[in-house]
Amino acid sequence: MKFYVCIKQVPDVNAPLQIKDGQLIQDADRNILNAYDASAVEEALVLAEKHSGEVEVVLAGPEKAKETLRKALAMGADKGTHIVTNGDEDFDSYAYAKILSKFFSDKEYDFISCGKQSQDTDAGLTGSMLAEMLNLPYATNAVGLEFSDGKMTVKRQGDSGQEMIEVPAPGLVTCSNDMNDPRIPSLKGIMQSKRKPVDTIALNDLGAEISSDDVQTKVLGFEEKPEREPGKKYEGEPDEIARQVAQLLDSEENVI
Amino acid sequence: MSTLLTVISVNDGKIKRSSLEVLSRCNELASNNGMKSAALVIDSKASEIAEQLKNYGPDEIYTIENPIFKNHLNTPVLKALSTAVSQINPKVVAFPSTESSKDVLGALAANQQTAALSDMSEFDLTDNGVKGKRPVMASKIISSVEASGSPVIISVRSGSYDVVEKESNANIEAIDFNFSDEELQITLKEIISSSSDRVDLSEAEVVVAAGRGVKDEEGRNLISELASVLNAGIGASRALTEAGDYDPSLQIGQTGKVVSPQLYIGVAISGAIQHVAGMANSKVIVAINKDPDAPIFDIADYGLVGDLYKILPPFIEELKKIKQN
Repeated sequence: MKFYVCIKQVPDVNAPLQIKDGQLIQDADRNILNAYDASAVEEALVLAEKHSGEVEVVLAGPEKAKETLRKALAMGADKGTHIVTNGDEDFDSYAYAKILSKFFSDKEYDFISCGKQSQDTDAGLTGSMLAEMLNLPYATNAVGLEFSDGKMTVKRQGDSGQEMIEVPAPGLVTCSNDMNDPRIPSLKGIMQSKRKPVDTIALNDLGAEISSDDVQTKVLGFEEKPEREPGKKYEGEPDEIARQVAQLLDSEENVI
Repeated sequence: MSTLLTVISVNDGKIKRSSLEVLSRCNELASNNGMKSAALVIDSKASEIAEQLKNYGPDEIYTIENPIFKNHLNTPVLKALSTAVSQINPKVVAFPSTESSKDVLGALAANQQTAALSDMSEFDLTDNGVKGKRPVMASKIISSVEASGSPVIISVRSGSYDVVEKESNANIEAIDFNFSDEELQITLKEIISSSSDRVDLSEAEVVVAAGRGVKDEEGRNLISELASVLNAGIGASRALTEAGDYDPSLQIGQTGKVVSPQLYIGVAISGAIQHVAGMANSKVIVAINKDPDAPIFDIADYGLVGDLYKILPPFIEELKKIKQN
């Protein structure tokens, strides 16, 4: 089976952040493999090992994003493609999906997977956009995957419980990070990753012309979230503080 | 006249509060801007749901009724949505941010070749689209965004707007829709854990959330008892859902559900940023934790420092007394 995993380099949301004149500034220029994508890579590797398949990772991003592609190769992916962008474009989910759909237009595969969202924008749109552009059956928010007889059985989190969905190949699945703990690349894996094949394609050579019409959403700026004021801390006899707070929730807050 | 279309989310025959919040906002925007507010119900019992919607003020109600919509499947839902959008030609299509809408939002935007903004915490109209705010970077900061296009497709976080009841004599129009099984690209085999018998977490007025410190059956029983006294939805931190103590659908946080209740009670929850991303919009936050330095105390209105096994029993007793009076 042939698996493609679409991955993205994102700023580490756990690194210190500040906002200056409406712009987002990361104190540390820490960029990482999107955690949801790491989960998709892990799951593809497990399935490929089980069904003797191949995993190829695809990343659209600037030159420096190559390190993130190497990370996925170090985890165990067989091959990578880097679609190189300038890095100063304000691509939104639609533009990324369009770039990826162009890449996949002449490829053969059983399944494409990706994270269900990226940690920086939390938009969660690219996966199902790509599926629609490629006219593929898809399932989102997978928390478990099984492959057999050319079909993927997806356990996904729905509104009224976990749904078992069958997606025929070729298809697309977006992964939650609740499905596994992505492996940490071993030293051997890191060494091997340097010899693994990586195709580098300039965005222009892909023929995916992204015009301003394809970027229909714009980020105008950033602002701090209004902070919640810490309330009162109650310490002391459990009986006493429990009763006191219960009464306040009734008399002061009117929420009981 | 331009139309703002709200897609109503229905679960087990019940309208989700979050869709009424979005509808109320669209009613307000429509009336301020000389537009029409319409609601769309895609359900196996859409016409029954449509009657209930008349209490919430839309100018027009559209229904697409078909047995295929008994359970959520993206192929027919997507076809129904694109049929409705082509027919109604709305300026905005607004969804509540539910798991089902997240499943189709991007695909609908790609299908209509238009812009989408997901999980907005507020939104307004511009001359050629929508502007608003959405939390990003694990809800640590807020970004201002805008989208132009026709229609602009958005989803709105629950708790962002109040539900405003308003009687209307909206016309109910059924949209023609055919779907054959051959078109069904994906198949639903089974729904594993239905939470329909419990209070729906993302809709609940009160949420009781259990964290790592809830270690055993006694702890889980206390959580259940507290939730039952308050008619609350039960949530859990990632540690507990991963340990199998609570169903994964109950996880609150960046990767789980976003809750916005009137009252949130976090029991033995430390307040990791991923969890806080899913509950910081709660109106009143109560935290119970042994560790006086737990980060959740920085955002809690009422912080009880102590052992849950000692605090919860008298807390539950007192709440019962208050409820009885």
